[in-house]
Amino acid sequence: MVDAASSTKADIVRGIRACRFYVYLLPTFVLLGVFCFYPPILGFLGSFYEWNGANVKIWNGLDNFAKMAHDKVLIASIGNLIKLATFTLITSITVPLLAAELIFNLRSLRAKYWYRVLLVAPMVVPGMVTLLLWQFIYDPNVGLLNAVLGVFNVPAQRWLNDPHLALYCLMFMAFPFVGGITVLIYLAGLNSIGQEVFDAAKIDGARFWQRFFRIDVPLVMGQIKLLLILSIIGVLKGYGAQLILTDGGPGYSTMVPGLHMYHQAFEFDHLGYACALGLALFLVIITLTYLSMKIRKPETE
Amino acid sequence: MRSWGRWRKRLVEALKHVVMGTITGLVFYPFVMLIVVSFKNTDQFMHNPWFVTFPLHFANYPAALELLVRYAANSVFVSGVSCLGTVFLAAFTAYVFARFEFVGRQFLFYLIISLMMVPGILGLVPMFMIVKRLGLLNTYWALILPYIAGGQVLGIFLLRTFFSAIPSDLFDSAEIDGAGDFRTFISVAMPLCKPMMATIAIISFHGTWNDLIWPLVVISDDKLKTITIGLLAFQSRFQSYGVAVTQYGPLFAGYVVAAIPLLALFLCASRYFVEGLTSGALKA
Repeated sequence: MVDAASSTKADIVRGIRACRFYVYLLPTFVLLGVFCFYPPILGFLGSFYEWNGANVKIWNGLDNFAKMAHDKVLIASIGNLIKLATFTLITSITVPLLAAELIFNLRSLRAKYWYRVLLVAPMVVPGMVTLLLWQFIYDPNVGLLNAVLGVFNVPAQRWLNDPHLALYCLMFMAFPFVGGITVLIYLAGLNSIGQEVFDAAKIDGARFWQRFFRIDVPLVMGQIKLLLILSIIGVLKGYGAQLILTDGGPGYSTMVPGLHMYHQAFEFDHLGYACALGLALFLVIITLTYLSMKIRKPETE
Repeated sequence: MRSWGRWRKRLVEALKHVVMGTITGLVFYPFVMLIVVSFKNTDQFMHNPWFVTFPLHFANYPAALELLVRYAANSVFVSGVSCLGTVFLAAFTAYVFARFEFVGRQFLFYLIISLMMVPGILGLVPMFMIVKRLGLLNTYWALILPYIAGGQVLGIFLLRTFFSAIPSDLFDSAEIDGAGDFRTFISVAMPLCKPMMATIAIISFHGTWNDLIWPLVVISDDKLKTITIGLLAFQSRFQSYGVAVTQYGPLFAGYVVAAIPLLALFLCASRYFVEGLTSGALKA
């Protein structure tokens, strides 16, 4: 009897002691619950309402999604996004890979180190400063770009104020397209390829470009995939530059879906429609991410 | 023949340096220009905007600092608190997941990790409504709490992997010596994961310092603005002085000032960061 009682007592004590783990996790889960799990759920539900954030919240089924098909601004913004995304994905994947190859193939270790540091260094400049600096570069009156072109007798352009040029201006703000972090990630990939692989290629008489396409590219495919996914997410949800520099204009020439959502929510109080736009963007991002993950792994491994 | 081969090799090597040098130059030129212009007065800027002109106008800096110091202080506070909160909470949570067995451990962990797949865009509008209903609009908490919540996810992921790799004997022996859970965490686990914590701290600080859209949405009180959106107010101030020309000198001095805290942070911790990335903390 006594034994049985004390063992149940011990069980209870042990049970209570095991509960402490959930208490430890409580702060994390409260924060995550309120700010990470609840918003997407609310956003999903909000997509099916006409909602102005104050007195109106009416269930309207799929009306918000039907509205998208006739939303001229949205349609224009999708066209812009496709152009922007294509350009950004191609440049942000290929140019840093070439830069990483150059650094990787340098002989001087010290030079390798310094190029690496120098390429990452611009990270200390806040993104906002970079944006405002580009605003100055594109300034039609005193800007750097018009001044440089003036030397070659090219007439001054209006850049961000020109509906035909504005979108291209936004694309070229990443010039010269060598993201420091991207280069580092590629270098990590190249460094993890064994020296014996390169030696073997050399003995077989492979030229640089043969080695590049047959060995380096397949073996850094993991990095390429990761960067592809990160770039897709970044470019599809990004609208900071548009918000600060052009507000989608002139006209709708630089409008993107993210900015459209922002306007609908915070300028027109169309919260339901904004949620629906967010949900649509989310679905596109998830689908593209999934497809990029499906890219076949090289068989060399 | 042989000497030609050697020359060729040298030439190729030099060519690589030329290409890389040009790229780095292009990356850096705008920032060099930023600093050059920040020492000019309007007259110097109009006549010779691209090269260093004398005398240097150091007075641009105090002028800019006076207007920016409030925003910078706000950002240091918000990013500092968020960064510390993120690192400590993430480390402790990761430790609990790595060290202890309890019902639902795997499920709860994957629940957190699944958040890495949900881009913020879906939650932006509802998050604004939540913060508004909690009465947090125009407070530091509207920034800090979501930053800590969001920043933890990657931190928990990276640190749990790290803690799992540490032999549990280390923690067991501390507990046999009479240390409680917290004591073991603080005295044994935390010192071991310093480099990893530094990396997460930098990622967090850099992200919150640069965040643009969220502060724009939740902060409208000028006294609470962070440096990113403060710079916008700062910029419009220089353009609306009634003068025909923007005063680029003090304006650019302000841009330089905005970069100094990040520069300081990177100088302190870049060693961990560059090593962490290159050695494969983010390897696919």
